[in-house]
Amino acid sequence: MTGLAGAHLRGFLRDLRAAGLPVPVGRQRDFLCALTTVPPRDVRHLYWIASTTLTTSLADKEAFDPVFAHWFAGSGLPEVVETDEPGDEGVGGGGDDAPPDSVMREGTGSAASWSTVERRAEFAVTTADEQRVLVRLRRDLPAALPEIRSRRRTPARRGDRLDVRRVHRDAWRTSGEIVRLRWRRHPQRQRPVLVLIDVSGSMKQHSRDHLRFAHTVVATCDRAEVFTFGTRLTHVTPALRKRDVDAALSQLANVVRDADGGTRIGPSLGQFLGNTRHLRMARGALVLVLSDGLERGDCEPLTRAVRRLSLLAHRLVWWSPLACDPAYRPVTRGMAAVVGHVNKLAGVRDLETAWQQVNDRL
Amino acid sequence: MNEHELAERMRAERYFADEGLLTAVYLALTLGRPLLLEGEPGVGKTELAAVLARVLGRELVRLQCYEGLDAGQALYEWDYPKQLLHLRATEAQVGEVYREEFLLERPLLRALRKPAVLLVDEVDRGDSEFEAFLLEFLGDFQITVPELGTIRATEPPVVVLTSNRTRELHDALKRRCLYHWIPFPGLERERAIVRAHVPDIEEDAASSLVRAVSGARRLDLLKRPGIAESVEWARGAVALAHNGDQWPVALRRALGLLIKDEEDMALVNAHMDELIAP
Repeated sequence: MTGLAGAHLRGFLRDLRAAGLPVPVGRQRDFLCALTTVPPRDVRHLYWIASTTLTTSLADKEAFDPVFAHWFAGSGLPEVVETDEPGDEGVGGGGDDAPPDSVMREGTGSAASWSTVERRAEFAVTTADEQRVLVRLRRDLPAALPEIRSRRRTPARRGDRLDVRRVHRDAWRTSGEIVRLRWRRHPQRQRPVLVLIDVSGSMKQHSRDHLRFAHTVVATCDRAEVFTFGTRLTHVTPALRKRDVDAALSQLANVVRDADGGTRIGPSLGQFLGNTRHLRMARGALVLVLSDGLERGDCEPLTRAVRRLSLLAHRLVWWSPLACDPAYRPVTRGMAAVVGHVNKLAGVRDLETAWQQVNDRL
Repeated sequence: MNEHELAERMRAERYFADEGLLTAVYLALTLGRPLLLEGEPGVGKTELAAVLARVLGRELVRLQCYEGLDAGQALYEWDYPKQLLHLRATEAQVGEVYREEFLLERPLLRALRKPAVLLVDEVDRGDSEFEAFLLEFLGDFQITVPELGTIRATEPPVVVLTSNRTRELHDALKRRCLYHWIPFPGLERERAIVRAHVPDIEEDAASSLVRAVSGARRLDLLKRPGIAESVEWARGAVALAHNGDQWPVALRRALGLLIKDEEDMALVNAHMDELIAP
């Protein structure tokens, strides 16, 4: 592919990369092969050829469509999306026909609204005392989690299914004579854990410890996912994967933008439940919600979300700092609706009380 | 077979693909690459593979993925009892029992041995271990059996992978595939599908049903009905209509075939009048 058309295609592919859509060489080759074997009839056809070979998920279309429109449909410049960082500046040389290097896609402001005030959380450093509690938590947490039988079978001393492969291997040593039977069984494995943390203003003094607890969960459990919510939902598991708890929390402060703000528990949980990929994290899992349940406004979405969550989860546990008070009764509108659907409502206000709950097998 | 013929033959099998899907399928066939299909449940991802098998006159080999699927169930397994019996019976050398006749073929191996359409269904339900051994297969269409060597495809299979997007697939897997997202069909196409599958339904009735389904998809439902559900709904309503019900009444009574969740049912019932307005 040479000449004008080639330059045009190269420009198109280069812009895709600039738009944040990584197109590996193999896929570019596919695209060019496709063009030579199936010559496109019109622009629509070309669109489908390009999207089949160059994108790998529905989300890619967001970046792909504007670039395609710019290069082939002549519909003006790619849409400029608000950027957090200056990002990709090195979009090489660019011919005369190169469009402005504009599109960066991470962190679009789509979730912002007029009622949402962005606040960055600040977290104090973990003290030596707290470190000791964290050590205890790390030690005791895995044993406290509910278990489920794994789907894979592994070799075991006693089991329910003959391990024919191993029996067979052993039999070679004894010239085909079976001397000993070997077995496989389903081992027990931890259920997944899903932690949903309220970081709104009313939880301000507890969210620091709650996030530390979440860090321990991510560090010790095989399958753990953590979300924070205040006025919006944030997936924070990747940020919590840092080994050092303070490093993880300071990174978290960059991600969680709605800390210490208002509360919209119901809509945030609803947002969680509206995403099929997230639903999978809750299915059959131990779901821990760390919130005081003080919902502003309509409680109906909260009730619906919690009911759905309790149907999905293996066990739904609600930790509220208010419940630490022995005189506490869940009578606020939010909690009164929720309490019928949770398996356990417990009082947790800091790491120590969290550890007590863990010791109590959650 | 050119693209036009492909579309004709698929239509003859009562599968109505739009231009995007046709292009994707045609590219998968001409470039010999696996095709990864994503889309809401019930838009015809699995059905496409079955239709392709009929169109191409190949066998459909289906591998349903689930957590814990291992090589023994997806690729091959040695037939140990047969090997042992053979050794005992003939006092043969050990090497003799590692031959193809002692190999039990599982779906992926089977798809290599004869011209096939391989459907790897709901690949997102499998775990990453499974994706890992799928890679060698999809890259070169070959399987390595350590005792025997590498088995290559006589004729590369046509591979269709489907995913419901419950988790992100590995990049390495996605890189080897062509990708197409199947959206819900437009009114026109869905009516054609419903009429093809439920020949008894009248033109007007089909239109109102399809409009109601697309209206229902715009509601905030937990599970949006797919094409499979609207075909079932049409079938049910036609059966009731034959039984003497008026059409709108029949639609209402058969609603359980379209909506499969109690909360959704309440929501749809509340909007039923506007949905099936003439």
